[in-house]
Amino acid sequence: MDRDKILQAIRENKAKTTPLPKPFNSPAEKQNISLVTRFKDILQQVGGDCFEINGEEELTTFLNQHFPGAADFRKKETWEQYPPDSPKEKLAQLKTVVLGSRFGVAENGAVWLDEARFPNRLVPFIAEELVVCLNAKEIVHDMHEAYSKSGQNTTGFGVFISGPSKTADIEQNLVFGAHGAKKVNIGLYNL
Amino acid sequence: MTGYAQKAGQFLKNGERAAWHDKTLWIVRQKRDKMARAVPEWENLREQASQIKQHTLSELDNYLAAFEKQAVKNGAQVHWAGDAARFNEIVSGIIKKNNASKVVKSKSMLTEECGLNPFLEKQGIEVTDTDLGERIIQFREEPPSHIVMPAIHLKKEEIGELFYEKLHTEKGNFDPTYLTAAARLHLRQKFLEAEVAITGVNFAVAETGAVVVCTNEGNADMGVHAAPVQIHCVGIEKMIPRMDDLGVFTRLLARSATGQPITTYTSHYMGPKPGGQMHIVIVDNGRSEHLGKEDYRNALKCIRCGACMNTCPVYRRSGGHGSVIHGLIGSMLAPHSHLKNYNDLPFASSLCGSCSDVCPVKIDIHDQLYRWRQDLSEKKRTSPGKRYTMKMAGKILAGSKMYDFSGKMARWGIKNLPRMLIYNRLNVWGKERELPEVPKESFKQWYKRTRQGKGGENGQG
Repeated sequence: MDRDKILQAIRENKAKTTPLPKPFNSPAEKQNISLVTRFKDILQQVGGDCFEINGEEELTTFLNQHFPGAADFRKKETWEQYPPDSPKEKLAQLKTVVLGSRFGVAENGAVWLDEARFPNRLVPFIAEELVVCLNAKEIVHDMHEAYSKSGQNTTGFGVFISGPSKTADIEQNLVFGAHGAKKVNIGLYNL
Repeated sequence: MTGYAQKAGQFLKNGERAAWHDKTLWIVRQKRDKMARAVPEWENLREQASQIKQHTLSELDNYLAAFEKQAVKNGAQVHWAGDAARFNEIVSGIIKKNNASKVVKSKSMLTEECGLNPFLEKQGIEVTDTDLGERIIQFREEPPSHIVMPAIHLKKEEIGELFYEKLHTEKGNFDPTYLTAAARLHLRQKFLEAEVAITGVNFAVAETGAVVVCTNEGNADMGVHAAPVQIHCVGIEKMIPRMDDLGVFTRLLARSATGQPITTYTSHYMGPKPGGQMHIVIVDNGRSEHLGKEDYRNALKCIRCGACMNTCPVYRRSGGHGSVIHGLIGSMLAPHSHLKNYNDLPFASSLCGSCSDVCPVKIDIHDQLYRWRQDLSEKKRTSPGKRYTMKMAGKILAGSKMYDFSGKMARWGIKNLPRMLIYNRLNVWGKERELPEVPKESFKQWYKRTRQGKGGENGQG
């Protein structure tokens, strides 16, 4: 059987055991940077857009004004409209989708989305445009902090998304909207 | 199999394009530098990544077993393939069992290494590569020329022409935004039709059984979440112990590869979708044997970022159609698995060491290539021409009389012999390269004439 043969060959060939280093300790100096400013800067660099809202209540008004007709997956009705077994042809019609994110990462402008946030895993990828609502207090410095937040608890499927889908495969010209969302807006609230 | 020098010669026939290739990859290298410098703990991250990989390889059997256990617990089905043939059988078996005939694929040098596409196509299965660059070269029936930028060797005019022919875009429209939009529509149809999605894997986490795939386009996710059956193909060396370690590798990977702070999508697949199937195929194909070669086992730390290729003065100027995995990392890995076919690759390097400097997991790339050359020569795996030349060179360099005489002959010869005697088929070095202009006298003669009796600066005779 291949499994046993592979494992046996590894046992015979591997080097003497070296220790596993302790989890990476990111430096303390980072504490002084404004996480919101950094997050916004990098998000812009990776092609994402950002709008800022003071409180959570104003967010709803803002979304209604600027993204009318969006499918808001923070609402129960939208889950009922798009149950987990929705045909993919129906999901392919999604234009603008609103999702909530548990936290964002300052060093790369990414937001964390896991499958508690959408009924079908295709939703964040098949929509033309994403609006992700993020509590400004929930921005971490770097990926080390990010994984200590998401790490062990991840089940099923989870993804970091940093800006819109992109490609540079044609002569290194950057083009947004290769396969996933063409536009990604992050709505920061609780500033 | 034509040698690297022949392929490079082909590449260099179009001088303008070769200059563009060189310049473009250098820009990517500079973007990488900018990103690396913006992270003060960069060097510590590289060291940490290198040590994590070192440790994982030294306990690889245990981590693979732990990964399997967790993945099965998550609801995935785990398969093991000792070699390429077995791998192809397993994948086609899963496809047939599901009565499927339409497959989308993303991000996998491993399937390229194993020849999966032609194997499946022979059985009437339609395989669509979904990364834009990979789709382009699939249309052209070519292998990729760079692990991160597969179509880097093509100009937009060629791609416009190709899409006109294959996707019926407007003739003469070479606009990258227009062409990308056409590809998006075409591939979206493929995603919706596909019954099985195949992906490669960037990292496999032993602690949780998670499979992590990083893309900018989102093609892995479109494929995996749209098709009822998902298959992830992972080489045994892709294991890492903990979720925590992903923090280290995701910070290094995209910065090193393209100069981005992270890829657009970093996806963690930990179980099948409701009503779906998730398969993980663990592949050896020569890797466990490679692990036993003490001098070379470091190469298995590679996370396939391509930084070594973007910085390499030889690769930038000569293109990447050398082996399945290109550039420096190809030079390190390919001769192990296909000694006969790729034995000239370790010589396609100036040993300047730039590759080792940029490697995010600190592989001693140029040292490995240097050792390879010695090994290949000892094993007489180099071409007879090279062997004979090296033997002669050894004799000449061993004695000063012979050396003086040969120098004189060479200076006379390069100036006076007809070109075809020097730039002939036997002299691979002379392909696309000019010998330098010859000086009138040797260094020894010059030294005697100008410095004799005056002594060196430190007083030596």
